[in-house]
Amino acid sequence: MIRIEHLSKKFGDLVVLKDITTEITKGEVVSIIGPSGTGKSTLLRCLNLLEQPSGGNIYIDGVDILDKKTDAASIRQKMNMVFQSFNLFSHLSVIENLILAPVKLKGMNKQDAQTKALELLRLVGLAEKANNYPDELSGGQQQRVAIARCLAMEPEIILFDEPTSALDPTMVREVLSVIRRLAKEGMTMAIVTHEMDFARDVSNRVLYMDEGIIYEEGSPEQIFDDPQKEKTRTFIQRIRCYTCRISSPDYDLYAMNAEIEAFCEKQILSKKSQHNLLLLVEELLQLYRPYLKTMALDITIAYSEKTERLELICESAGQKGNPLDSQDLSDDLGLMIIRNLTESISYQWLNGKNRLQLLIKTNLT
Amino acid sequence: MDLQTRTENNAIVITISGRLDTVTAPEYEKKILELIEGGNNRFVVDFEQLDFISSAGLRVLLLMAKLLKEKNGQVRLVNVKGNVYSVFEMSGFTTLFKMENSIAAALATLI
Ligand SMILES: Nc1ncnc2c1ncn2[C@@H]1O[C@H](COP(=O)(O)OP(=O)(O)OP(=O)(O)O)[C@@H](O)[C@H]1O
Ligand SMILES: [Mg+2]
Repeated sequence: MIRIEHLSKKFGDLVVLKDITTEITKGEVVSIIGPSGTGKSTLLRCLNLLEQPSGGNIYIDGVDILDKKTDAASIRQKMNMVFQSFNLFSHLSVIENLILAPVKLKGMNKQDAQTKALELLRLVGLAEKANNYPDELSGGQQQRVAIARCLAMEPEIILFDEPTSALDPTMVREVLSVIRRLAKEGMTMAIVTHEMDFARDVSNRVLYMDEGIIYEEGSPEQIFDDPQKEKTRTFIQRIRCYTCRISSPDYDLYAMNAEIEAFCEKQILSKKSQHNLLLLVEELLQLYRPYLKTMALDITIAYSEKTERLELICESAGQKGNPLDSQDLSDDLGLMIIRNLTESISYQWLNGKNRLQLLIKTNLT
Repeated sequence: MDLQTRTENNAIVITISGRLDTVTAPEYEKKILELIEGGNNRFVVDFEQLDFISSAGLRVLLLMAKLLKEKNGQVRLVNVKGNVYSVFEMSGFTTLFKMENSIAAALATLI
């Protein structure tokens, strides 16, 4: 349905897209992920002709859309876009927002456009807000209106650019559930998103963008569970992990606790696991404390939903040695707690760093 | 952490709430030392409202028990439960301290 061949885009000297080649077939849901600034938005904007590509070709149903003879407005009807910041017309009511383009651009008669608009508002659960104005709606509701407005043009494909990243966490779900419903109904979609769990369960294919190219692509399982390339792996790991660096004996334990609690909530860990993790971190920090004057400690906590393994890794430079074996401890209370909380502990001297890896018991009762 | 004390039946009843951890243990230790140096040697510590304890908190309890032993004093712990009880189990503290289910029961065992 859409074929992209050797697409490139430069802004002056800045090469954002180097060479993008891929295809999106009818009914496919493709998620686009990657670090900030790698050109995900630029790619969508090129597809939608909001940016003029510097090179390459884009075909929709075999028609070259970069051909001068092709009408950009009609392309945008086929391929409509939903933005992070809703972009509703604030001086128009919800229903007027929905009927404007179909009447103006498609020449639909007003009555039909109105009927259709109400139908779409029902689909996104907002029929009763038809006569309200955008600023009378919550962010989540505004974004659902924006999706309905997009659907009013009967597009063949919808491009979403981070549709939930401007929303309060409480409103993310309602917007994602609308997009999920569209996926179920067979809508073709390309979605740039930072919501990885959503990307995993809604999409048929995931594109990881980096270095101006589609660096790796595959099924959600391939990309999220078994990425092949180094950079993809690092990216996926980073979003599944909590990391922090402690570089002073006067670290702020409570600030760190709050971050770990947030991580646990995101990973839906039990209250008991959360308690054990906080306790383990505190005990480890106590053991590392004498060293913190001279070197930094990097802590990584990783949870794998699939294997249900919760792991904690401590990395520190400085003298070779396992702090758990230290002879200078005044008692072994901390050690006893650490041993009780963990399934296994391994120590390695790796690349000039002390690496302590602890597998945390998760079935503690 | 919040700490309150009152006298009941010639004993000091300490109610401690919140967290007894690396950050708060020094404060608890200071308070306990003051009370013991002030001549008190019969204590009941109520953990009903204590949500979290780490080895830093356990150390202060050990210190307290040691000082009281030197002075022929006694301490009872009350309402040790949940996460706090798990930590007691991990570190063998369940056998080190005399624990009771209520303040009244604890006071009754103090001679
Ligand atoms: N109109 C423009 N003029 C100049 N540079 C631009 C323009 N639009 C984007 N860029 C640059 O292109 C690069 C890619 O931007 P883009 O917005 O596509 O990244 P992104 O992958 O969407 O990032 P994010 O995840 O932060 O949204 C950035 O370095 C950006 O500064
Ligand atoms: Mg972007």
